[in-house]
Amino acid sequence: MLAVTWNFDILPDFIFNGLQAGAIYATVALALVLIFKATTLINFAQGELAMLGAFFVYVINIEQGLWLWLSILLAMGFSALLGMAIERTLTRPFDPSDHLPVVLITLGLFLIVNAVAADIWSFQTKRAADAFGKFPGWVPFGWGGERFIEVFGTRLRYQTIGIWVTLALVLFGMGLILNRTKIGLSFRAVSSNVESARLVGVNTGRTLGFGWALASMLGTLGAALVAPSLGGYNPNMMAAILIYALAGAALGGLDSLGGAVLGGVCVGLIQSVVVSWLGVVVLEQAYMSILQLAAAFLVILIVLMFRPSGLFGTRTIERV
Amino acid sequence: MLKVEGLHASYGAVSVLRGLDFEVPDGEVRVILGANGAGKTTTLRAICNMCNVSGTVEFEGENIVGTSTAQIVQKGVAHVPQGRGTFPELSVTDNLLVGAYVRKDNEVRDDIGRWFEIFPRLEERKDQLAGSLSGGEQQMLAVARALMSRPRLLLLDEPSLGLAPLIIEDLFERFTALNKETGLTMLVVEQNANLALEMADYGYVIESGHITLSGPADQLKNDPAVQEAYLGA
Amino acid sequence: MASTPLLVVEKGSKQHKLWQSVGVVYVVALVLLVPVVLEPFEISKMNRALTLSVAILAVNLVVGFNGMLALGHSAFMGLGAFVTASLIQDENMDYWYIIPIILIVGFVFGVILGLPALRVKGLYLALTTIAMAVVFPSLVNIEQLGIAKRTGGPNGKVVSETVDAPSYMEWLPGVDGARGDRAYRYWMIVVVVALTMLVIRNYIRSRPGRAVIAIRDHEAGAAVYGVNLPMYKTVNFAISASLGALAGLLWSMDKSFVAGQDFTFLLAIDLIIGLVIGGVGTLQGSLVGGLFVVWVRDLTKRISIPLGFYDLSGEGPLANAIFGLILILFTFFAPGGIVSLGRLVQSKLIRVIPLRPDGEPIQPLADLDPGPESTRAQVAMNLAIIGAVLLPLGWLAMNIDNLIVGVFAFALRFQILITMPIALIVGINELQAHKEGKRSDSMVGQANVARILGGIGTVFLVLFGFFHFVDQYATGFDLPIV
Repeated sequence: MLAVTWNFDILPDFIFNGLQAGAIYATVALALVLIFKATTLINFAQGELAMLGAFFVYVINIEQGLWLWLSILLAMGFSALLGMAIERTLTRPFDPSDHLPVVLITLGLFLIVNAVAADIWSFQTKRAADAFGKFPGWVPFGWGGERFIEVFGTRLRYQTIGIWVTLALVLFGMGLILNRTKIGLSFRAVSSNVESARLVGVNTGRTLGFGWALASMLGTLGAALVAPSLGGYNPNMMAAILIYALAGAALGGLDSLGGAVLGGVCVGLIQSVVVSWLGVVVLEQAYMSILQLAAAFLVILIVLMFRPSGLFGTRTIERV
Repeated sequence: MLKVEGLHASYGAVSVLRGLDFEVPDGEVRVILGANGAGKTTTLRAICNMCNVSGTVEFEGENIVGTSTAQIVQKGVAHVPQGRGTFPELSVTDNLLVGAYVRKDNEVRDDIGRWFEIFPRLEERKDQLAGSLSGGEQQMLAVARALMSRPRLLLLDEPSLGLAPLIIEDLFERFTALNKETGLTMLVVEQNANLALEMADYGYVIESGHITLSGPADQLKNDPAVQEAYLGA
Repeated sequence: MASTPLLVVEKGSKQHKLWQSVGVVYVVALVLLVPVVLEPFEISKMNRALTLSVAILAVNLVVGFNGMLALGHSAFMGLGAFVTASLIQDENMDYWYIIPIILIVGFVFGVILGLPALRVKGLYLALTTIAMAVVFPSLVNIEQLGIAKRTGGPNGKVVSETVDAPSYMEWLPGVDGARGDRAYRYWMIVVVVALTMLVIRNYIRSRPGRAVIAIRDHEAGAAVYGVNLPMYKTVNFAISASLGALAGLLWSMDKSFVAGQDFTFLLAIDLIIGLVIGGVGTLQGSLVGGLFVVWVRDLTKRISIPLGFYDLSGEGPLANAIFGLILILFTFFAPGGIVSLGRLVQSKLIRVIPLRPDGEPIQPLADLDPGPESTRAQVAMNLAIIGAVLLPLGWLAMNIDNLIVGVFAFALRFQILITMPIALIVGINELQAHKEGKRSDSMVGQANVARILGGIGTVFLVLFGFFHFVDQYATGFDLPIV
C-alpha cells in the first residue's frame, strides 16, 4: 500500500511551487489582516473583489490593449475606489463588536460579486497575459529571454522570482506607508484603540476607507499575478485561494501583518511540500485537493488549539 | 471657556445624565466628584459626543453638541479617558506623535523632546510599546499625549485610578504646575476627592445624574456632607 | 392609525384561546392543503424546503441560541445523507433503525469536531467550521477504508429502493395518483419536522437550554453562575450536529440520490441565509428560512426584467446576485428576519396581556382601550373594504403572464386570509364595546360594515379551503377553482 520511495530529486520543484503559491496567499492574507486590524471583521468577499479586480485587468489589458503593468495599476486604482465605497456604505453603519451582521454582509457581497462577474464574463476562462513570462532581455548570465533558470537541479521559473520580488516591494512599500506617513500612523492608531484614535482627532471613517482601499489593491494585485498559473481569468478563480489565505492569516494571527505573510507562505509550503510531494512520493496515489485543504486546516486547527490567537497574534486576556 | 446647560446623556435606552448645568471659566481647574455610576465619566464623554447627548455644550462660545468627536478635538479639547487610553501596540514616541495628529505646524518633534525632558522615564522607554509600560508611566504618557495637541481645555477622567499613592501625588503636583505655568483650563473627574479638591478652584458633586452640590474647592472641602461621603476614612 | 393595537386580549382568556385555535387551524389547513394543491415537482421542492428547515434549526441551535459562529453544517447534512444512503443501499436496513443511528452518529461527530473547535473564539471558530464545510465534498472521494465505495465516489450514490407510499397510507391527503409517493414522503418529513420542533422547543425551555442561552448572552457571567462552559457548548453543538445529520437523512430519503457536490460550502451559505432571513434565535424562523431559501431562490431564477440596455435575467448566475442582495437588505433593515417583521405586524394587530399570579392582568385592559375616540372600527372597516377590492384585482391579475405580476397577484389574493377575519373580529369587538357604552355612536356604522364584510370574506375563505380539499377526493365534482 505505501511504497516508500523518497524521491528528493523532485523536492526542490515542490518547494518552489509552494513558495510561489505561498506568495499569493500571503498577499491576499495581508489584505484580510489589514481589514481585520482596522475593523475586527473578516471580509469574506475579499477573494471575489480580488477576482473582480483581475477582470478589470482583463478588460483594460486585453480588451483595450494597454500595457499589462499599466493595466494592473489602473485596476488596482479602481479596486481601491470600490473598496472605499463598500466600506462607506455597507460596513460603516454596523457596530463591529457584533460579528454576525457584517459576516452576512460580506457573504452577500460574495454572492453578488461572483454572480455579476459570471454574468458579465461567463465561466469560460479567459487567457491572461503573464506579468512574468520571460526574463527581460537585459538580464545577464544568459538568463535573458528564458522562462526559467536551472537551479538545484530543477527549474526555477521567472514567474516565481517575479512574484516574490513584487511581494517584497509591496511589503517594503507598506512598511513605509504604515510607519512613515500620517495616514499610516492613523491606521495603526485605529487598529490599536479606535476610541482613543477619535480622541486624538483621527477621522476614523477616512482611515478605514484607506485601509479598505489598500486591502483591495493588494487583493487585485494577487489575483492578477496568480491568473496565469490558473490558466486565466475565471469568476471562480479566487474561491480556493481565499480559503488558503484565510488559513494563512489565522495561522499567523489575524491581527499580525507579519504573521499574515509568514502564515500565507507556510500554507503554500504545506500545501505543496507536505501534501503534494508526500502524496506523490509516499502514498503513491494523489488525493491532492482533499489533502491539501484538509492538511492546511488541520495545521491551523492544531496551532489554534495551543495558541488561540495564532502564531503572532496579540493574546487577548478577557477581564472578567 | 466651557459652559454646559441642561445636559442629558444616555447610552441607548439608559439615561445617565439628567440635566446638568455647570461651567469651567478660562484658566481654572474644576473638579467633578461623585460615587461610581453617578455619571462622572459620562459627563466627560458627553462633552466629547461619545454617547447620546442633548442640551447645550458651549466651548469658547460655540455649541459643540452633535459635532463629531474628532472635530471637537480639532477645536482644542483634549480628553484623557478612564484607563489611560494609550495605544498599546504603538511605541511611546508614536503615541506622542499621534497625539499631535490635529496639529499642522512643524514644532511637533520639539514638543516631544520637551515632554521627554519633563518625563525622563518616557524617554528611557521611547521605542517600547506603550502596552508594556507600568500604570504610572502609561498615565504620564496619556497626559503627555493629550497635551501634544496643545489643547485649550484638558478633560481628565479619574487620573488616579489604579495608581500607587506616591505616583498619584506626583501626578497631581504636575497637574497643578501645568495649570499655574501655562494657564491650561482643566476639568477633572475624580473619585479621590481629597487630592482633587486640593488642586481645584471649584467643584461639583454629581449624584445619579444630577449636580447636588457645587462651590469653591475650599468650601466643599469643609462641607460636612462632602466630608462624610467622600473625605471620610 | 391607532397607537394601541387593534385587539387586546387577556392571556388564557376565551378570546385568546380562540385566536390560538384559529392559528392552529390555519397552520393545520396549510399543511393539509400543500400536497393537495401543489404540482408534483412543487411538492418535491416543499420537501427540500422542510429538510432545509431542520438543518437551519440545527444551525440556529449553535448560532442563534448559543451565539457561536458555526458556519459549516452542510458537512453534517452530508454525513447524515451518505450514511443513510449507504445503510439503505448496502445494508438493506430499515429507516426506522436508521433514524436513531443517524442521530447518534451525528452526535458523536459533533462531539469530536466540537471539542477542539469550540476552544477557539469567534471568528476563528467561523473559519474552522467553514473549513469543515469546504473539505467535506472531497472527503467523499477517499478510496481508503472503502469510503468511496460506500459513498459512490464522484458519481454519487443511488438508492435504488425509493420510499413509496404503501397502499394503506392512501387516505392521507395527496397520497394517490401521480404525486402520491412524493406526498407520502412529504407527510413523513412533516412528522419529523413537527417532532423535532417540539423536542427542540422543550430543550430550549429546559435548564440546559437556558444555560446555553445564558452563555450566548454573557459568557463570563454564565461561568460565574456555575455553568460548565465547555460541556454545555459541546453538547449543544453535538445536538446541533445530530439534527444536521437528521436533515441529511431526510434529504437522502426524499431524493434517493446523494452526491458530494450537493453538500458544498454553498449549501452552508444557504443555511446561514435561511437562518438570518427567517429569524435568528427563533424556532419559527427556521421553518420560514427553509421555505424562503427554496422558494425565493426558485423565484429569482425565473425573474426577467428588461432594463433597456441590459437584460436583468435570473436565469443565469444573476439569481445568486439577487439572493445576495436580499441578504444584505435584510441585514440592514430587518436583522431579526421575517419572524421579527411578522411580530411587528402582529403587535399592531393584537396584544396579549399576561396575568399576574392572582389572576388579574398586569395591565388593566381598560388602559389599552382607546375609548370613545377609538379609530379601531374605522381601521377595521378600511381593512375589510381594501381586502374586498384587492381580491378580484388579484384574480384578474392572474391572467397576466408575468412572473412578478403573478407573485403580486398571489399576494393580493392571499391578503384576505388576514384582513377579513380581523375585520370581522374587530367589528364584533367594537360593537360589544359600544353596547358597554365605551364608544361613541358614530362608529357603529363602520363597525357594522367591518363585521359584515369581514364575515362574508371569512366564510368565503372557509368554503374555498373546504372545497379545494374535498375536490381532491371527490371525482366528478365540477368546482370553479379560484
